Amino acid sequence: MTFRDTIGLALRNLRQAKLRTALTTLGVSIGIASLAGMVSLGVGLQEQVVGRLLQSGVFDAVTVVQAGELGGAAQFLNGRGRGGLRGEFGGRGNGSGSTPAPKLDEQALKQIAAMDEVREVYPNIRVPVQLKVGDFSRQVALVGVPMSSKGEGAFQTFSFGAFFTSDTDHDCMLSLNMAKQIAEQAPAGLVGKTATLTYPARAKEKPADLAIGFDVHPAELQCRIVGIVERDPGGLPFGGLGPNVGVMIPMGLAKTIDAEIVFPDLQSLLREPSQSKTYGAVTVKVKQAKSTQDVEDRLRRMGFGALSVNDALRGAKSAFILFDIVQGLVGSIALVVSSLGIVNTMVMSILERTREIGIMKAIGADNEHIRRIFLIEASVIGVIGGLLGVAMGWIVGRAINFGANLYIQSQGGTPATVFSMPVWLISAAIALGVIVSLLAGSYPASRAAKLDPIQALRHD
Amino acid sequence: MPTLLETQNLKKHYRMGETLVRALDGVSISVGEGEFLALLGTSGSGKSTLLNLIAGLDHPTDGSLRIDGNDIATMSNEDLGRHRRQSVGIIFQSFNLISTMTALDNVTLSMMFAGVTRVEREQRAAVLLESMGLAGRLRHRPSQLSGGEQQRVAISRALANRPRLLLADEPTGNLDSRTSHEIMEVLKGLNEREGKTIILVTHDANLAAQYAHRTVVLMDGVVKTDSPS
Repeated sequence: MTFRDTIGLALRNLRQAKLRTALTTLGVSIGIASLAGMVSLGVGLQEQVVGRLLQSGVFDAVTVVQAGELGGAAQFLNGRGRGGLRGEFGGRGNGSGSTPAPKLDEQALKQIAAMDEVREVYPNIRVPVQLKVGDFSRQVALVGVPMSSKGEGAFQTFSFGAFFTSDTDHDCMLSLNMAKQIAEQAPAGLVGKTATLTYPARAKEKPADLAIGFDVHPAELQCRIVGIVERDPGGLPFGGLGPNVGVMIPMGLAKTIDAEIVFPDLQSLLREPSQSKTYGAVTVKVKQAKSTQDVEDRLRRMGFGALSVNDALRGAKSAFILFDIVQGLVGSIALVVSSLGIVNTMVMSILERTREIGIMKAIGADNEHIRRIFLIEASVIGVIGGLLGVAMGWIVGRAINFGANLYIQSQGGTPATVFSMPVWLISAAIALGVIVSLLAGSYPASRAAKLDPIQALRHD
Repeated sequence: MPTLLETQNLKKHYRMGETLVRALDGVSISVGEGEFLALLGTSGSGKSTLLNLIAGLDHPTDGSLRIDGNDIATMSNEDLGRHRRQSVGIIFQSFNLISTMTALDNVTLSMMFAGVTRVEREQRAAVLLESMGLAGRLRHRPSQLSGGEQQRVAISRALANRPRLLLADEPTGNLDSRTSHEIMEVLKGLNEREGKTIILVTHDANLAAQYAHRTVVLMDGVVKTDSPS
């Protein structure tokens, strides 16, 4: 008996019970659709998260802080699941107090910049200033942006205008959000206008009539708005600029403000002007993303706290694997139920066709012929169910994508692909449909094959 | 006349609840090539059990059953399958056609298991059915055929793989007397013109006397008489 004959016979048998075949196939396709849908949601979300991280251009960035000051950032990372950082900070410098932690000052910056793999080092400057544009006036966060950030991360897409042209020009950029707050109707018109930044600065000379302390006076800086960035450049704690960035100025200019500004905290009030300025955090950009870990380790050996987004990404990836497994399990339940449907259908069909099986055996079929006919019937259900299931999963995924994007856009976000169905998933889903139905069909098929022909012929 | 089939002390016992049923309890017969043999007996005499063993549908409990020198008693399931496909053709009282298949498909099915190509088996099935006077009935389903026509389809199916031995289990049991004789004439013709060896199981002594060369009477699983008709 040829394979083609077996398929022909199997298809004929399936056609004999159209409704039952259709319902069972529908069951399988729902199982496959739920599994494929679940996995594709997982894949889509992972692509979104990893893709956004990659796009942010922070894979080559290491954030350096003075040891013992990691606090919030470390918590942020540990909260993400994997504790690759636990115990790596804090032990040095602030524990027994044997060696004081090295200061993150200009000298340390030069030292780090001299390392082989390091491309650039700049301090993370983020200070509160009063922003005035025309009638608009508000306290906002001012951050320094190095010239090297041009074309990276958030600075890939400008709504209006462009990046700074020089590190020391009195220029500034705004986020689109900020620009809309200033001029809701026509944010484009802000480009070319002048913004005034006011901040508390210490006087150069200590007034004679003060025993301790110093004189604080408001300093003012005029700068021209050159560009409006579409995406908020904040978001990520490492290499990014932090949340709610109001106004961005060139790094060189930011350094001069940072040197003068007085924070309303005791440390900066008591600091002697002669004392060298230390930074809270410094961003180290490495030449190649793969050496990030290496640089991180070396910085730790130097006594600094170091963090990179790699740590977060590792955590996120393993969290996604867990997420995928859980989703796969949930989807599998539907598939298991539908495979029981196959078993049920096949057992029913064997009962109905017992006499027919007896006849076939009497006129020359052996056990193997009968087994193959039923296995092929099961796998035909599997193939059709798999194809239909993938199609259903795809359509449902599309619908969810559409709905999710409607919501995202209503919230002012950029559209994203939440469901992703790569080719491997499509072929795996169909293959799974066939495998599951073969497994489900194997018991009924061998039961049919082992039927005693004499008993079967008496059956009616 | 060379021997085609020979049984020696053939036994078939099976349990039915607590009791042991001796359906066949030591049957020794031999059938020559080209012979038309009638197995006569009341129900429960063991005639159908013997036919099922010869057809390769069951394993004997003891004894030997040789067809063309091969002992069916020691055959594996695969060998029995081949035996059913190649050596014997079987005809039933209730026709046992597959109700969802056309006459043509019913006949081609046995050739499908034997691995005959589609074109060849459809051609042969058509020739066989036409020779049975069913030329206009190839695409009819069993329910669209009379009893006699259905049995002719079944005979065509039994002949499809060119077996030397035809086994007929009460082939006229469901037919009226006129149709019965027509079917018996068909079998007689096959025996006389094509030299097919035929074993006919029946409880009708007249039918046996009229068509068979020899009649073996079975009673309670043993041969009671074995005489030429």
